[in-house]
Amino acid sequence: MALINLENVCKSYKKGRDRVDVLNNISFRVAVGDFVALMGPSGSGKTTLLNLIGGLDRPSAGTVVVNEQDLSDLSSGRLARWRSESIGFVFQFYNLLPVLTARQNIELPLLLTKLGGRQRRKNAQLALDIVGLSDREQHTPARLSGGQQQRVAIARAIVADPKILVCDEPTGDLDRSTAIEILRLLQILNTEHDKTIIMVTHDPKAAEYAKRTMLLDKGKLVSRSSQPEVEAEVEA
Amino acid sequence: MTTFGFLVKSMFRRKLLVTLSMLSLITAFILFILLRSVAVLFSGVLEDVSDVRMQTASKYAIIFLLPHRYGEEIASVEGVVDVTHASWFGGALKEGDDSAMTFAVDPSTYFDVYDNYHISTEHLNAFLELRTAAVAPENIMERYDLEVGQKVPVVSTIFPTANGEPWIFDLVGTYRSDSETDFLPFLFHYEYLKEATGVSDVGWYTFTIADSEKASEIAQIVDSKFENSSDETKTMTESQAFRDMMQQFGDISLMMNGIIGAVFFTMLLLTANTMIHSYRQRIPDFAVLKTLGFSDGKVARFMMFESLLFCLTSATVGIGFAVLVLALVGPFLPAGLVLVVTPNTLLWGGCIAVALALVIGFIPAYSANRLVIVNALHAR
Repeated sequence: MALINLENVCKSYKKGRDRVDVLNNISFRVAVGDFVALMGPSGSGKTTLLNLIGGLDRPSAGTVVVNEQDLSDLSSGRLARWRSESIGFVFQFYNLLPVLTARQNIELPLLLTKLGGRQRRKNAQLALDIVGLSDREQHTPARLSGGQQQRVAIARAIVADPKILVCDEPTGDLDRSTAIEILRLLQILNTEHDKTIIMVTHDPKAAEYAKRTMLLDKGKLVSRSSQPEVEAEVEA
Repeated sequence: MTTFGFLVKSMFRRKLLVTLSMLSLITAFILFILLRSVAVLFSGVLEDVSDVRMQTASKYAIIFLLPHRYGEEIASVEGVVDVTHASWFGGALKEGDDSAMTFAVDPSTYFDVYDNYHISTEHLNAFLELRTAAVAPENIMERYDLEVGQKVPVVSTIFPTANGEPWIFDLVGTYRSDSETDFLPFLFHYEYLKEATGVSDVGWYTFTIADSEKASEIAQIVDSKFENSSDETKTMTESQAFRDMMQQFGDISLMMNGIIGAVFFTMLLLTANTMIHSYRQRIPDFAVLKTLGFSDGKVARFMMFESLLFCLTSATVGIGFAVLVLALVGPFLPAGLVLVVTPNTLLWGGCIAVALALVIGFIPAYSANRLVIVNALHAR
């Protein structure tokens, strides 16, 4: 069953008097439990595509249906609520709030739920356990390493138990060994916690951790293939 | 963590900047309370001055005395109800402290004319019976630690005693006014002053009239009686007399309100700058909040709430501190200078805080509402 369904999606921006087409007629489906790596050169539209799937932006044309919900039908307020319930976001630069501790950052999405304070803390603690940072709950982001911050960001992404994780270059700011830890964590979330993951990456080695890879170039989906084939195309 | 806790933490993201701005605003509210209490003091005096009470003093200056016989002539004017007189004694109840007003009065008529002053029958009778008797208002009693029944030494520079010793009065009673902000004098027998010094004139006459509408007419009649004499008079309602006196200092209320306005306008610019600066620094944070599912309206409300929290906290601390300062300093202020914080002043303080919050919070809240997530995240 398709959890994410994009039909003829186009996205263009106005830059002064010019119109810049970022995505051209993109159509694809992602099944429940999939782990997709979106690859492509800079400016190919990967992040834009991810933003459309995550409901952060709206397409200029076409439809984006996620979890049986056509996102173009939703008002700004309902789209925000939908995001809080359905999507977990992981960014390259973590985007943690510097004034909050690790646990408070993780609790943040739960402020939108009806959970009481005790339950919120319990859920945040569980998320911290999953990412292996139970002993850092009182640390602010400034006192955490890049890898730890990304783990906190992942914990924040999963704390409300969304079906989908949208990750934009989650290892882009990390050294190789830390990046591997984060990718393994994402793999565990995919396989053991049934999270469907869409991950934008430049890094073919990072893409290896996904179940399949899609290649974007100049706003078009040029390939959707299994791992070795995509690698060959990127290298070419 | 609660939403409130989160907002407080967010507000103090730049602790030094926010703390300094808060201190500025707290200072502004302290100034507001102190200046308003001064303005209230003067406006309070004017409000309490009856329009049916008139004053006749020397045409040239209040320091020139008037003949004693003027009292009877004033009383004979149609429409005049009660007449009394008072003389400035210039006494100091404590060495070097002449801030308490001391008047020599006619006790048999004084409280009829000043019917807003309240004295018990027992104390009034005691005042009438003893030539050396004096009565003091409650604030002077407290300030100089006086008790009914004690002898009060008073030194006067205008009427010094022959041997240079202080005048000794028997404090037989106390009185009070309807208003907390009245400047009430220490009162003693004019007859005692007359006998001791030989002075036969009085400082000024105060009288009540039956119809306030006829005040100008009566003033004209009274002054015309003494025209071309060596002691010409100027008669006016007491409120007009107070206004004339206040005008020597300028319009106190206008000055106070002007200063308050300037202070808050400066604060408006300063705190608006702080809020906008704070907002700009946190644009990525707002983008993250919106990404996580906080709606545009909710993020805007956060910003507005933060602005309200900032202003109301500053107002509460500032007003609280000013009230405390007034309570502590009050006993050391000159007698009669009663600085009170009225409920109206508190209400104004609250209203200013809310208005300030709405104005300075509007732009950041509006911007937060319009913030486009993708652009804000990209800018990071």
